[in-house]
Amino acid sequence: MSIVLNQSQNEDVEMCKRAKIKKTYMVVLTSVFLCTACLRTVFAQTSAESEDSVRSAVDFEHELDSYEPLKNHYNFYFTYKTVHPWWDAVALGMEEAQRQFLDRGITITYEYMAPDVASAEDQRSRLLAAQEKGFDVIGVDVADEKIISPVLDEMVESGTKVMTFSSSDAEEGCRRLAYVGNTHNYQDGADLTEALCEKLQYRGKIAILVGTAGAPCHEDRARGARETIEKYQDMEITATEYDMDSVDLAYDLTMKILKDCPDLDGIICCNMSNPVGAARAVTEAGSSAVIVGMDHDEEALRYLKDGVIYCLGVQDCYSIGFDTIQVAVKIADGNLPGELFPEKTDEITTVVYQKDAARVLDLLYGDI
Amino acid sequence: MEKDKHITNKTFVLTAVLGSLLIMAMVIANTLWSTKQIASATDEAVSAVSTFYLEEMADRRAKIITNMINGTFESMERALDYIDREKVKTQEELRETIGRINSLLTLKRFALADRDNIVYTQYTTYTGASRHAFLSAEKLQDRIISDVSFYGSSRQLCLVVPARDLSVMGKSVKACFVQLDIDDIVDLLAFEDQSRTFFGLYSGSGVNLSGTELGPVISDRNILEAAKDVVSEDVWKKTCEDFENGEEGSMRFSSGGAEEDLCYVPVKGTGWEIAALTRDSVIKDQIRDISDKNLETSRNQMIFSLVCVLLLGVVLLAQLSMLSKRKLEKEKETSRSFRNMANKDSLTGVRNRHAYYENEASINQQIQENSLQKLAVVVCDINGLKYVNDNIGHSAGDQLIKDACSLICEYFNHGAVFRVGGDEFAVLLQGTGYDTMMETVDRFNRKAEANIREGRVVVSIGYSVLEPGDQYLHDVFERADQMMYERKKELKEMGAHSR
Repeated sequence: MSIVLNQSQNEDVEMCKRAKIKKTYMVVLTSVFLCTACLRTVFAQTSAESEDSVRSAVDFEHELDSYEPLKNHYNFYFTYKTVHPWWDAVALGMEEAQRQFLDRGITITYEYMAPDVASAEDQRSRLLAAQEKGFDVIGVDVADEKIISPVLDEMVESGTKVMTFSSSDAEEGCRRLAYVGNTHNYQDGADLTEALCEKLQYRGKIAILVGTAGAPCHEDRARGARETIEKYQDMEITATEYDMDSVDLAYDLTMKILKDCPDLDGIICCNMSNPVGAARAVTEAGSSAVIVGMDHDEEALRYLKDGVIYCLGVQDCYSIGFDTIQVAVKIADGNLPGELFPEKTDEITTVVYQKDAARVLDLLYGDI
Repeated sequence: MEKDKHITNKTFVLTAVLGSLLIMAMVIANTLWSTKQIASATDEAVSAVSTFYLEEMADRRAKIITNMINGTFESMERALDYIDREKVKTQEELRETIGRINSLLTLKRFALADRDNIVYTQYTTYTGASRHAFLSAEKLQDRIISDVSFYGSSRQLCLVVPARDLSVMGKSVKACFVQLDIDDIVDLLAFEDQSRTFFGLYSGSGVNLSGTELGPVISDRNILEAAKDVVSEDVWKKTCEDFENGEEGSMRFSSGGAEEDLCYVPVKGTGWEIAALTRDSVIKDQIRDISDKNLETSRNQMIFSLVCVLLLGVVLLAQLSMLSKRKLEKEKETSRSFRNMANKDSLTGVRNRHAYYENEASINQQIQENSLQKLAVVVCDINGLKYVNDNIGHSAGDQLIKDACSLICEYFNHGAVFRVGGDEFAVLLQGTGYDTMMETVDRFNRKAEANIREGRVVVSIGYSVLEPGDQYLHDVFERADQMMYERKKELKEMGAHSR
């Protein structure tokens, strides 16, 4: 069937076509504009969130709360697992709190001591010696919960005010008065491992590096890592080693692991020294093993920036230190956990990736 | 002669005016040339001045840091001596001692470290091996200056002084140290000119320790990384080497159309570099301000000089004009005087024969032009002059002449009296003198006759008027002279001396 159109009909058809084309153009342009705007908004939001997340990883802007101490002078004793930069970061937060108390006319003096090598026995003897000196409060970052928790109980029993701090609390049921620090070590281990598993698409051979044997925080993270790996049948733990918070030992252990298992796919590092030693070894051995680890060591952050380390769980050490002094003052005044302070003051851990490394380096070390 | 004088004056004035204009033109041209030269020299000087200025700026700041470090080291040495003298036994005593040191020696955060790397401060005691890198050495020999990057972006300058033979609480002390906030040091370096120049404190690797912005290009970034984009590779490499080796140097680069000069000098003993930067335009503006002021002063001086020269010229010209006018008048006066002398009879004061001849020439011309209607000539002759000269003397003769002249002038006061000979006068009468001539002649003759009786001067006169047919004055004169002789005879007859 043929249809014959007259001149006027032809013009109408032509106009309709043009109108349709115009409409189509308008729709396409509007869609492109909207999509671009949405993408930009989403990107900006994501970028801003990432920036905020990095900036809040460590809170350097602290102020003492409104609590009025009862005395003008306090004398504390703190001991931690081992001499290590991680606890130096905690010390800086403590010093800031001490300065702020001093500005209020309250003098805080304290000892902040640790052995060169982590040792629960050394810690016990330090605690007992400190007990004899009549400090207002004794704080401890537990080296081994099994050994130290009973010591703390005895000290509390004898009237000494004892608290735990930083990353390792005493075991459940210990009578220490309060804890300030990381309350989610297990989850930190699990989170880092989950990120690793996702990166490896849930298959591969994994090694776990732990810090000090018996140290609750390290053990909890290792447990979190192990139990996460166990969820995925194509993933296998080939080795678990303890570096005793020594970078050099971490390096040696990683080299050994890589020698034993050259096709290693990933390394989970449970403390601050682990990722540095592991990254050095992986780089030297030319391995493609993906490293996830803990903390804010500058060298580790540079490895993160360079892509050698996949992600790091950065703890807010500064806040740990600051809050420890604040809680210690309250404990020294005879206060118990409750309205003034919680029994466990939780400090955050932020997982940072390569894209955040420069900002974290800038935040922590002022250098990018 | 008059014409020559006029030309000379004109030439002089012209020369003076042209000379003045030439001097003015030369002064203006010289000023303009100087202005151009100064502007050109200013541009050339700017770059050199920038470098010197920046070096000076950087050097001053470097010295401030060096002095501060040296001063702190001295205080630390004194602090060690003080602790040694105090014989500290307990931690409490040590804290108090350190507190006094902080206060008395204005040492911030003074600390001691013992052989076990335990650090003692006024408020804390801590194990410091991982926190202070210098403690890794078993024994310290020399002072140490190092910058420390702390967790939390805090950068500090750590000064360490080894302690020799010092013990506290039974433990030997390895060293004392202080940690100075770099922000505090930067505050010391902040001068008033920060709006015009920038400075920054950098580590040997170019890391910005001061956190200050070094202009818009370098900003607060690592100076070596930032400079890589704006200078040539050779300059960049040299700068990197300078920073690494603690040498001084400079860079120059463009930013936003303006040239920027950057100088850096090492801070002795620290491994740091102080860099100062300024924009060319800042120096240029400052120098140009000075230059403009100088030029303005010079311009004002030039204008003042020109005005002075102009005024002086005007004054000189006016004076010259007055001088020449006076000279001219004087010359005219002299000329008039000479002319008077030439036309005046020195004895009687009336016009002389020469003057008569001058008048005669003029009158003759008028007669011939027929422009003269009324003219009469009276010829006068003194009777008895020879007699007086010969018998009484020439002085009396002269007096007689004077008396005769006075008489003539008295009666013919409307005529022009000429002494045309020794004892002969001629009076030319025109106008009133002509109209009253007859009356005057009658009165004169009666006087002459009376004088004969009184023995006074006797003057014989004859007169004649211009008549048609007269060609010359002489024609009139001759008739008057003839008449005078006739009258002379008459008077002789009346008793007057004839000669």
